[in-house]
Amino acid sequence: MFKKFLSVAILSFCTLPMFASGINESTNLIDDTSQSKVLHLAGGNVGTLNPFQHMNRGPGIFRTFLIFDTLLEKDENGLIPWLASSYTIAEDGKTYTFHLQENAYWQDGEELTADDVKFSIEYYREHTPVYNQLVMNGKFIVDSVEVIDKKTVKIITDEPGVAYLEHLGYFAIIPEHIWSDIDDPRSYDGSDRCIGSGPFIVESYSATNGTYRLIANENFWGPKQAVDAIEWIPVSDANLAFEKGEIDLTTISADLISRYENNPEYTIKKVPALHCYRLMMNSETREEFTDKNLRKAIAYAIDVDDLIQKIDRGSAFVSSQGYIPNNSSYYNDDVIKYPYSREKALELLDGKEYSFTLLTDNSSSSTKLCELIKLKLEDVNIHVDIKAIDSVSRDNAIVTGNYEMVVVFYGGMGGDPDYLSNVYGASSNYIKGWSNEEIEELLNKQSVEFDDDIRRDELNRIQELISDEVPMYLMQGAYWNFIYRPNTYDNWTTRYDHNYLSHIKLSYLLRD
Amino acid sequence: MKRFSNLGRIAMVVLSINIIFAIISIFLPSSFYAEPCCDSFISPSLHHLLGSDDLGMDIFYQIVHGSLISLLIGISTAVISGIGGSLLGILAAYKGGKTDSIIMGVCDVLTALPHLPFIIVLSVFVGSGLNTIILVISLLSWVGPAKMIRAKVMMLKNEKFIVAAESYGGNFFYITFVHLLPQVFPMVSVSMFKIASHAIIAEASLSFLGLGDPTSKSWGLLLNHGISFPGIYFTDYWKWWITSPLIMLILLILALSFIARDFEMILNKKL
Amino acid sequence: MKRFIIVLFAILTINFLLPRLMPGDPFLTLSAEDGFTSVQYSEQEVQDLKEYYGLDKPIATQFIEYYANVLKGDFGRSIFYNESVNKILLRKLPWTIFIVLSSLLIGCIVGLSLGILSMINRNKNFDKVFYTLIITVSEIPSFLIGIAFLFIFAANLGWFPLSGGVSAFTEPSFSLAYIEDILSHAFLPIITMSIPSIGQFYILSRSSMITIISKDYMVTGKAKGLSKRRLNIFYILKNSLPPIISRVFLNIGHLFASSILVENVFAYPGIGTLMKESVLKRDYPMIQAIFLIIAMLVLLMNYLAEFINGKIDPRGSKYEKIQ
Repeated sequence: MFKKFLSVAILSFCTLPMFASGINESTNLIDDTSQSKVLHLAGGNVGTLNPFQHMNRGPGIFRTFLIFDTLLEKDENGLIPWLASSYTIAEDGKTYTFHLQENAYWQDGEELTADDVKFSIEYYREHTPVYNQLVMNGKFIVDSVEVIDKKTVKIITDEPGVAYLEHLGYFAIIPEHIWSDIDDPRSYDGSDRCIGSGPFIVESYSATNGTYRLIANENFWGPKQAVDAIEWIPVSDANLAFEKGEIDLTTISADLISRYENNPEYTIKKVPALHCYRLMMNSETREEFTDKNLRKAIAYAIDVDDLIQKIDRGSAFVSSQGYIPNNSSYYNDDVIKYPYSREKALELLDGKEYSFTLLTDNSSSSTKLCELIKLKLEDVNIHVDIKAIDSVSRDNAIVTGNYEMVVVFYGGMGGDPDYLSNVYGASSNYIKGWSNEEIEELLNKQSVEFDDDIRRDELNRIQELISDEVPMYLMQGAYWNFIYRPNTYDNWTTRYDHNYLSHIKLSYLLRD
Repeated sequence: MKRFSNLGRIAMVVLSINIIFAIISIFLPSSFYAEPCCDSFISPSLHHLLGSDDLGMDIFYQIVHGSLISLLIGISTAVISGIGGSLLGILAAYKGGKTDSIIMGVCDVLTALPHLPFIIVLSVFVGSGLNTIILVISLLSWVGPAKMIRAKVMMLKNEKFIVAAESYGGNFFYITFVHLLPQVFPMVSVSMFKIASHAIIAEASLSFLGLGDPTSKSWGLLLNHGISFPGIYFTDYWKWWITSPLIMLILLILALSFIARDFEMILNKKL
Repeated sequence: MKRFIIVLFAILTINFLLPRLMPGDPFLTLSAEDGFTSVQYSEQEVQDLKEYYGLDKPIATQFIEYYANVLKGDFGRSIFYNESVNKILLRKLPWTIFIVLSSLLIGCIVGLSLGILSMINRNKNFDKVFYTLIITVSEIPSFLIGIAFLFIFAANLGWFPLSGGVSAFTEPSFSLAYIEDILSHAFLPIITMSIPSIGQFYILSRSSMITIISKDYMVTGKAKGLSKRRLNIFYILKNSLPPIISRVFLNIGHLFASSILVENVFAYPGIGTLMKESVLKRDYPMIQAIFLIIAMLVLLMNYLAEFINGKIDPRGSKYEKIQ
């Protein structure tokens, strides 16, 4: 009697999780035929894949963009036509005319027209998507949109700007016939909330398990897909999962490279992550930082090669003090460099001693990095007190200026170099208490300079000036070491502004 | 010491080892445990008793330093909660009335709150340095001693020697320190050991979750680093990187519990 | 009863205030983990988001709205997950409830059985050793045991999966395979959490039964001629039930709290892992909801424990009133 009760109890307990998995999701049983090519990647829950409901981190953005299309796409070198098969920019630099693909359709069969583009822009004006490319420097960049004909749309921006094309080309186009009646897009849970025009369709998504299965869109207007389906599964240890063949791509730390490098079964691809560690100095809280010599001295006093060895295990490169990373075509090698030199640092400090607090987040890599920095700075009589807080508070402190020195691992170094304005420009408040008129002027000039040669000259000059000013010290830029099995799948590619292989749309499409 | 059980004696040995480690650690230059000494992941050898971790820092010395951190947390929390709780308990029992109701009310709320989630949320609020962790844990732990002391003092309140002291003009502080505390102290010391044990567990839990003080080299932090190291299951490193802080934590916590238990036995026998 | 309501009110207020006093604005994040892009919001967008989450109204209004919403059962929208908190909780809670109840069941049954065994053999030498052993093991914090299990059984021996609640892409069904899958993922967490419970029930039942055995009514029962077997098990168990039952309720509270740690050790998809993530990301609505749920559960369990204790054992309640 008791045993019966026990077994019934156990069975009913086991059913609890089933109810959890079954709520609010559509999960289908997958029938994997041996013909179809399925890619497996490490995933986790990044939200529902539409522009309003994905989580605001990288993977959420990029996975959503496999479902939805943008006017232009990005390949290894720059922008390429996408939903817009061609475009023109008028003399005034503000009027962009896009011609859409003739055979573009939504995944539910409706035709994609210029009305959808106009609708998307106007809808985004009222309802902020999670990833909003249509806002720059706090303002919405589009003044008005005009539908010229079914497949032609004219967008007029608020100002002329060289970098606008990149933004106009990269917002997700959403279907008017689905979203026009929705007032609160974030809570919309209709079954058509993931209908896009892109190369992949959401077949199943389970938030509980963090699993996704996307299948190739048969009626996609564009290049043929290189896979029939992509599955994201959560793994506890990506390296282990990769070795066991559960997933087909992962990143490995530099220590593990030797384990795989001479094995033809594996390919290791090393790409710059376009994120680097920066040491920021706040002249508003500590006036001492207005002294350029102090900033330069700190730059000389820190041994970045040592940091690369100890923190990144060799998988990083010295960042350029001109900000633009050395793999960009705009990189100027003539910037001033600051190789480790205790003597030069002491010379510049001229016998002075200082004492500062260094803020960091409490991740182990950041705290270790700061401890190493502290040792080197103590060596030149700069006393450092490390204060470790959680990353959200640290980010807040950077925005509000509540710090003296702070270390942060941050990106924003890919794409059109106009991002320099966000960091060093007149309207930027990123580096507190520092500004330089010449740099600001040049930045304004280059942002509207449509002549490439002149613009490159201006950018070169900007980088030289920045490297001389050293308002913040850029330490090392990280590499990602990707590993995959070329026999299983080797269509991985990079983008000129982002190198995480599995994030890139073109990695899943066959190009001629 | 003679009246300790066998387990209690073993516990004292463990505690003494930890105390010795802590003392050594005070005099140890921080380079031993805060700076890389050699290559990463070397196996235990004569020179480096427990090998090194992913940054090349000697694990043995980190463990030694961890003793200092754990004991520091344990002792500070125990003392603060013990003294604070006792005083508040005496206050509540002695003054009675409104003071008593308020203090008891606060005790009730604090007891009803689940400790770990509260500590997690509070430590985020006040920051995650060691000092704040000690304060936060003390904030929750004073309730135990307070209630115990209050009960005892309520019984003592009407004893003849207290009434006599009062009639001689002894004020609250005099009576507290000269008469009440000595009576109450044995009970408090038992719970102080338990509080120390809980504090060490709490700090280890916080650090393990990644919410503790990242600059302290506590054992909980070592566990956190070890477990979150990518590819840890691949390798053999965990055998010394993870097992050593794990064992040290378990041993110290058990030691404190057993000592508390023995103290309690001795106390009860006395009564 | 009145006491509990006051405490409930205090918990609700603390719950409301705490996240708001925390440093760190969830919308002002710059950097992201692992070098991934994180979205940066313009001032206008931050303002819009604050309006959407109701964070821009004065504190008093927020407070009243919060209470109203809680009564309705609406916990708001998670800032980090971009989904309604209720949905996320409904997804994650069953897993936690599953392992908590299972651990309770195992702890209770095994603990009681061991207690009975111990009581029967209480005069033998080996019982003392056994007693000490069980006490020792149950004093160890459960998450430390969990880490040891994780490495020995999951990583090293490979008997159990390393993490998760269920294997990816399996469809919920009543098939044996699915149940096996769930059980194999839940096995280690459940065992880990049940160990302290086993210890507690063992000690409790053992001491309670030993006390009872020497009581007068036991002698009476024996004198009445009741068979030794009947006397031993049913009588003793029935009379030692009160403290055990109230301990069951108290234990549920502890188990929920300890599940926060144990779930993180095993990456089990319950509210433990959810809490850690939301604290790291400053997801106020989520933190508040989880804290409230756990606090209320513990409170409810404590209340039930006291209530039942009072009902079952009238002697006990009298003593309480004196206290």
